[in-house]
Amino acid sequence: MSHLGTLISALIDGELAGAELDRANAHLAGCDACRTEAAQLRRLKRELSALGELDAADDAVTRRLLAMTHQNAPVTARPLSRRPGRRARRRRGRYVMWSAMSIVVVGVGAAAFGMGGSSSGSNEPQITPQLEVFDLQHAITSGDVPFAGPSSTRLQPPPTPSTPPKASKASKRTSLKASLRASAEATRP
Amino acid sequence: MRRRLGLLVSAVVTVTIPGVLAVLAILGHDHAVSATDAVSATSVADESAVGPLPVAPAGTSLPVSNSVAGAQRTSGSPVTVFSEVAASRQAFAMHLLGRAATAGQATSYQGVEVTSQSGVDGTVTVVSQVWHQGGGLTLVRTSSAATPVVSYDTGDRSPAGVFGVTSAQVSLLGKHYVAVYGGTGTSSGRPATIIEVYRFDGSLAARFWLDTRTLVPLRREDFDAADRLVSDELFTQVRFGPLTARPAAAVTEGPALASSPESAWVAASSPATLVASMAKKGARLPGTLLAGLPLYAASSSGTGAGQVTDLEYSDGLSVISLFVQQGTLAASMPGWQSLSLDGSRVYVSGHSVTWAGRGEVYTMIADAPPQTVVEAVSAVPGGGQPGLVDRLGRGLDRLAHLVDPFA
Repeated sequence: MSHLGTLISALIDGELAGAELDRANAHLAGCDACRTEAAQLRRLKRELSALGELDAADDAVTRRLLAMTHQNAPVTARPLSRRPGRRARRRRGRYVMWSAMSIVVVGVGAAAFGMGGSSSGSNEPQITPQLEVFDLQHAITSGDVPFAGPSSTRLQPPPTPSTPPKASKASKRTSLKASLRASAEATRP
Repeated sequence: MRRRLGLLVSAVVTVTIPGVLAVLAILGHDHAVSATDAVSATSVADESAVGPLPVAPAGTSLPVSNSVAGAQRTSGSPVTVFSEVAASRQAFAMHLLGRAATAGQATSYQGVEVTSQSGVDGTVTVVSQVWHQGGGLTLVRTSSAATPVVSYDTGDRSPAGVFGVTSAQVSLLGKHYVAVYGGTGTSSGRPATIIEVYRFDGSLAARFWLDTRTLVPLRREDFDAADRLVSDELFTQVRFGPLTARPAAAVTEGPALASSPESAWVAASSPATLVASMAKKGARLPGTLLAGLPLYAASSSGTGAGQVTDLEYSDGLSVISLFVQQGTLAASMPGWQSLSLDGSRVYVSGHSVTWAGRGEVYTMIADAPPQTVVEAVSAVPGGGQPGLVDRLGRGLDRLAHLVDPFA
């Protein structure tokens, strides 16, 4: 039978103050049984703190705790603290951090995929190549006459050779020469 | 316990998948740049290979192809060896080409040029009237176009050669081809000296007719690797000496292509360094080798449409000018024909090809066989369809630009 009754739990939890605290301490000073029980409860509290991350519903842990509390009955069993332990808080923090990083990476990846698609709508300048300027630069560096660009005379592409290169070479050269002569004749004053 | 495991697994999956995507995007972005750097290093090394071609010792007897040049493989590396006769003909041909480049600049002439070139969109033919004052300006009036065009720019720069025979091109040609004296002939009704240009495998790559009296080129033919004629340029009329018919039309019309002062081109002292520095800044460039053609010149210009970088690639015969500027192509492209080229959507006009990719607009003007053009378009970063990695990379770029517009 506890001399302090339920007060001993409050004493261990630091919930007593003033006259009640003085009375409890005075009793402990003269009562070996209560001192022993207080010491056991303090040890139990430390162990509970260490096991804080474990689920209260875990049967093994529950049995162990009950066994400890019944060693010096009757001790009023207090419900386990609902506050998570330090390790649990750390682990939970890690989960939150990883989740946040995942969201950021997914977000950036999705945004990059979306923005990397079509060029339209972006801030890139729309360009029509300055062909006349480029053609002249090419002519100057290559040492050849510039082409007139889009308005050049265009002939049909030559047919795919179906004969050996040697045979086709002569015919192609002849046709090309003929077209050249025709062009030259047309421009001759 | 199961609930905790489930939470852990879902967290891992949620983080891993987008994380891997983001890492792939970043790696993909960096890969383009690092690949460019790698190509640059290779090409810079290649550029340093200046000097005469390997010539076999006198008296060496070799199974040369078509009596000109032969290619042998020693320890896995191709080595080209020339016979004694071929070497002397080669030296003579290079000497003539060098003098032709000088003559094209120093000699006054006027005439009509016809240029016919096979492109990715068929053959394009241009007829031009040309006036050249010896040591001075060249005026070109393209009469086959709907509107006559006179070509020169405000810097008094004009094409510095005839049919691509310039000192720079001849120098490049000597490193990548074998030029040999090919006898005599006629072109434009004038006696001519023929120079034949061969690849190292012995196939004919080009043929030049040089005016016997002035050494100014009268005609040029180019052949692709399959021995097909891909380009033919010739004077149908030509007269050497002081200009008698002043190009009055040109003067009255004014320099139609005269560039505004803001479009003046500033040449880079080191093209490879320019490409490397631009690649480090995030520009997607092909490096210093494009479709087998080395980078030999680069310049930049500020125009109304922003900064334009011009990269010039050439092996002495094929010349590709690649103009790169930031932006995207306009929705309407009058005068250009839309075409699918090796899986890429491009626009073609004459010997010019333009396309947009990953925030850059590329415009390629090529005097090269169509196969080389296709290869070059495919080799330029952004030439293909953007994949997931490209799309994420471009999106991250735009996000970064939103966060820091000055970056």
